[in-house]
Amino acid sequence: MTTPSATADDGPRRLLEDSRLLAQRVRATQRATWFPLLVFAAVTFAAIPVYRYVHPSLTCRSGQGGIRVCLVYTSAGLVYWPIALVIAYALIATFYVRRARARGVGTRVNRYVVAGVILALLMGFVSVWTAMHPPIGDNVLGLHLRGARLAVFAGSAGPATAIGLALLFLAVVERSWGLVVLTVAYLAVALSPAVLLHQISGHLSVWAFLPRLLLEGGLLLLGAIAFALLQRPWREIGR
Amino acid sequence: MTGHPANGLNDVVHQRVRLGILTVAHEARQVEFGYLRTSLELTAGNLSQHLSVLESAGLITIDKGYAGKRARTWISLTKAGRAALREEIEQLKLLIRSIDGADGG
Repeated sequence: MTTPSATADDGPRRLLEDSRLLAQRVRATQRATWFPLLVFAAVTFAAIPVYRYVHPSLTCRSGQGGIRVCLVYTSAGLVYWPIALVIAYALIATFYVRRARARGVGTRVNRYVVAGVILALLMGFVSVWTAMHPPIGDNVLGLHLRGARLAVFAGSAGPATAIGLALLFLAVVERSWGLVVLTVAYLAVALSPAVLLHQISGHLSVWAFLPRLLLEGGLLLLGAIAFALLQRPWREIGR
Repeated sequence: MTGHPANGLNDVVHQRVRLGILTVAHEARQVEFGYLRTSLELTAGNLSQHLSVLESAGLITIDKGYAGKRARTWISLTKAGRAALREEIEQLKLLIRSIDGADGG
């Protein structure tokens, strides 16, 4: 690309193709998909002692006909997730900005971080509200939900959804189909009725939460390793 | 814009290196001189000349700063630069369609 003025090489197709390749190279230099995945895997695994060693809380409501409904929940979890996710996003933003500057480019990660923080805080609010207002019977916000549907509905207000939706946003920012596929798989596992029902039906065990966290964290960790390996050659090109 | 699509091309932008600079600066939001030089495979002097042309046309801004003790020059697109890039890409696509149409007809 040393041509100083318009030449036969400056045909419109060639110019567009060169622009496309340059843009691709910049995006490859900016990508660090493995880092958010690694951070969220760590946050998920770090939740294990919170769920295991903090005593659960109980909220009860009385409905019509004297029905009394109680919800058992991990109060520490309600506090842990929003705080852990906000710290995670601060880490991710710092990492992306420093890494991009060291490589001589800017970053587009700001929108992802803002979206992630909003989703984390929204998830925290919904989780606290749900804990304070357990559904009576099968009536949840006017919807009649039972069994697997109720489990999926409850699970969809959890941290996995906040992480997953924000990762989809990152996939758009980084134009990464690989991350879309990974995130869809992650959400499918996290919101799978089988996984959610196990946690609810296994309430007698103090480790009932463990399969879900191990599955979610394991998937994120595998994704982080895969992206770190996949993006390694591109990192060299950007230098 | 009327007539042949080539009439709509901006002479400042319609050039491989300058289009490359605008493309990289747009995609990167902000790009360092060294990254541009490596990506576009230019000498420092050659790149500086192109940057001067784009800066004079008001399409980019150039900020000089330090990272530790190392001097670094950052290039960003202006609003006019973003518009010029968008316009150039559109005109190139029009030109290709026009060529394809002429070949087909």
